[in-house]
Amino acid sequence: MPESDVEIHTAQSLGRWLTECVAVHLSRPADTIDSAVPLSDYGLDSVYALSVIAELEDHLDVSLDPAVMWDNPTIDALSKALAEELALNG
Amino acid sequence: MTTTTPRSPGATDAAAPGTSAVPAAPPGGYDAVPELVRLLDELTGDEGPFSGAALAALDTREAFPAQACRALDEFGLPRYYVPVEHGGSLDDFSTVMRLLRAVSRVDLTVAAAHGKTYLGAVSTWIAGDPDRAARLGRRIGEGAVVSCALTERHHGSDLLAGEVTAREAEGGAGWHITGEKWLINNITRADLVTVLARTSPAGGPRGFSLFLVDKSRLAPGALTPLPKVPTYGIRGADISGMEFHDALVPSDALIGEAGHGVEIILKALHITRTGCVAMSLGAGDHALDLAARFTTATTDGGTPLAELPHVRRELGAAVAGLLLAEATGLVAVRAVHALTGEMSVVSAVAKAYVPAQVDDLVARLLHTLGPYGLLDADGHGSFAKLERDHRIIGIFDGSSLVNRNALVDQFPRLSRGYRKGRRDEQGLVEATDPGVPLRPFRPQALSLLSGIGASVVAGLPAAVDRVHDLAASEAASDRLASLAGRLRQAADRLHEEMAAVRFAPRAVPGHAFELAERYELCFAAAAALHLWLRRPDRVDEAWLRACLVLVLTELGEPVGDTEREDLDTLADALLTARPGAVPSLIDSLEGTTP
Repeated sequence: MPESDVEIHTAQSLGRWLTECVAVHLSRPADTIDSAVPLSDYGLDSVYALSVIAELEDHLDVSLDPAVMWDNPTIDALSKALAEELALNG
Repeated sequence: MTTTTPRSPGATDAAAPGTSAVPAAPPGGYDAVPELVRLLDELTGDEGPFSGAALAALDTREAFPAQACRALDEFGLPRYYVPVEHGGSLDDFSTVMRLLRAVSRVDLTVAAAHGKTYLGAVSTWIAGDPDRAARLGRRIGEGAVVSCALTERHHGSDLLAGEVTAREAEGGAGWHITGEKWLINNITRADLVTVLARTSPAGGPRGFSLFLVDKSRLAPGALTPLPKVPTYGIRGADISGMEFHDALVPSDALIGEAGHGVEIILKALHITRTGCVAMSLGAGDHALDLAARFTTATTDGGTPLAELPHVRRELGAAVAGLLLAEATGLVAVRAVHALTGEMSVVSAVAKAYVPAQVDDLVARLLHTLGPYGLLDADGHGSFAKLERDHRIIGIFDGSSLVNRNALVDQFPRLSRGYRKGRRDEQGLVEATDPGVPLRPFRPQALSLLSGIGASVVAGLPAAVDRVHDLAASEAASDRLASLAGRLRQAADRLHEEMAAVRFAPRAVPGHAFELAERYELCFAAAAALHLWLRRPDRVDEAWLRACLVLVLTELGEPVGDTEREDLDTLADALLTARPGAVPSLIDSLEGTTP
């Protein structure tokens, strides 16, 4: 999975990391992934998509409720929600 | 059709204190398990509702075992489906496991029919409003049957494809449910049904909600029961379906938040899939008991079958299979309390491994003893019946494939966690030492994904180190140390292979399922090893060695001929047990060995 040295997690940096991560899962170039499109449209169905959260948790070394992915189905929404949550807990 | 006036909630839910049809909760310290076992012994006698003749006759007629279920109601078994906080007696999942195992040891049709009420109610326990949960608890205490309707005719395990719809009534006056649920255990008999329905046209993981539908509060004609489906096993069970015709349910029928049905049910399944092990363990007990009696009583050329070396070896392997299933099941139900956040892994292992292991041991016994007449050894076809009945356990409540897929989805985290030895040590001790009191189960700790991996397996290398330490001080045999060392190596290699699995969504490669099966074997062996290490004085080391011999064989690892002789120790333990008893880790660990 892509490595990142992000220290302060902004919605933007999280969005870049998530796009890379999703691209690896889908075996397609990152620039073909639209961060405003629901991930389920790319075939990342509900349960499989949770494994993206698992990677994100390991990457950020934080514990997240996996259902955050279901409440925020696009990369844009998810990065925004995560950045807010990290700011709250950081 | 929609002009129904729901009765007031109190109409059917109220129960004056002390009027329950079920005996009052027993005082602290009461152990229901031996009481139930005693009752079942009594009821298996001639003419009893649990007698071989009565159950075989019902099975032939595909008739529901109503009398047997009533006897369990009178005993008060339904109380153990209701958590103490909602007015019942359920405070330890290992007790329910043992109760349902005792019933399953006699008859799986009865166990599946009776135990289903827990699955029907569990969503309300973990996500429902406390008042609603208390009312449901009272109803169950009075003998109400609760079912759970998830699947539909054309979608099988694919819950997100469900077409049954719930539409909110105008002014928030309730919900209208429409569509067909099918192939559901107890749905026609049930008084209440938990229904998963689409509440957002687009669907998706937040597009479904759960409803607790009280049939007695529906307008006439709101439901059409569908005919009983003839089945290969559990022939007497009510496996049927239900069509909802714009059925109006009150707004308090909604369980938890609207849109959260999939999340709630996936978490609920973490518990019920684990609970299913009880039925497999009971079937395994029954199979081995029948085989032990049969091999002792039947001769081949004047020699009892039980004295033939190849028969003894197969009996021993079958016992080892049951002990591994039991170790997995025991640790898994304790993990519901102690490692709650890891149940996305633990329940998948338990539900995939335990039924498959029992199917295997039944097949092993039949392969060896079928030609001599095992199927009808007792004159009532009991072995044939349990073989048929048990097939369903690996399918319902999430099939083995569904559960293995869930494991494969978690491979990256499981392999990382194993490499780092990441585990919840305190939870692991609690889950693997029956002498440690269990903490209360906290539904809020359930998680769709285990955050840490699986402590049972991540703790394997440390457990193997401990065996080597014991061997160095002669407190364990070198034979055990050698078997444990090979297990560790196999687990190391397996996790490397798991880490290398990459796949696109929904395209799980076939070999990943095989890795999942090997993972289950490592989990089972680790569970047995942890249990033994907590109480090495209570369980014969040869039993543990025999379990490791079976696991290593199934993993395709080399095992020596001398090592296999430990299987014969298990055959002896089976053949010398008192009638009706089979070797059990739980009994040994608790010092209640028959």
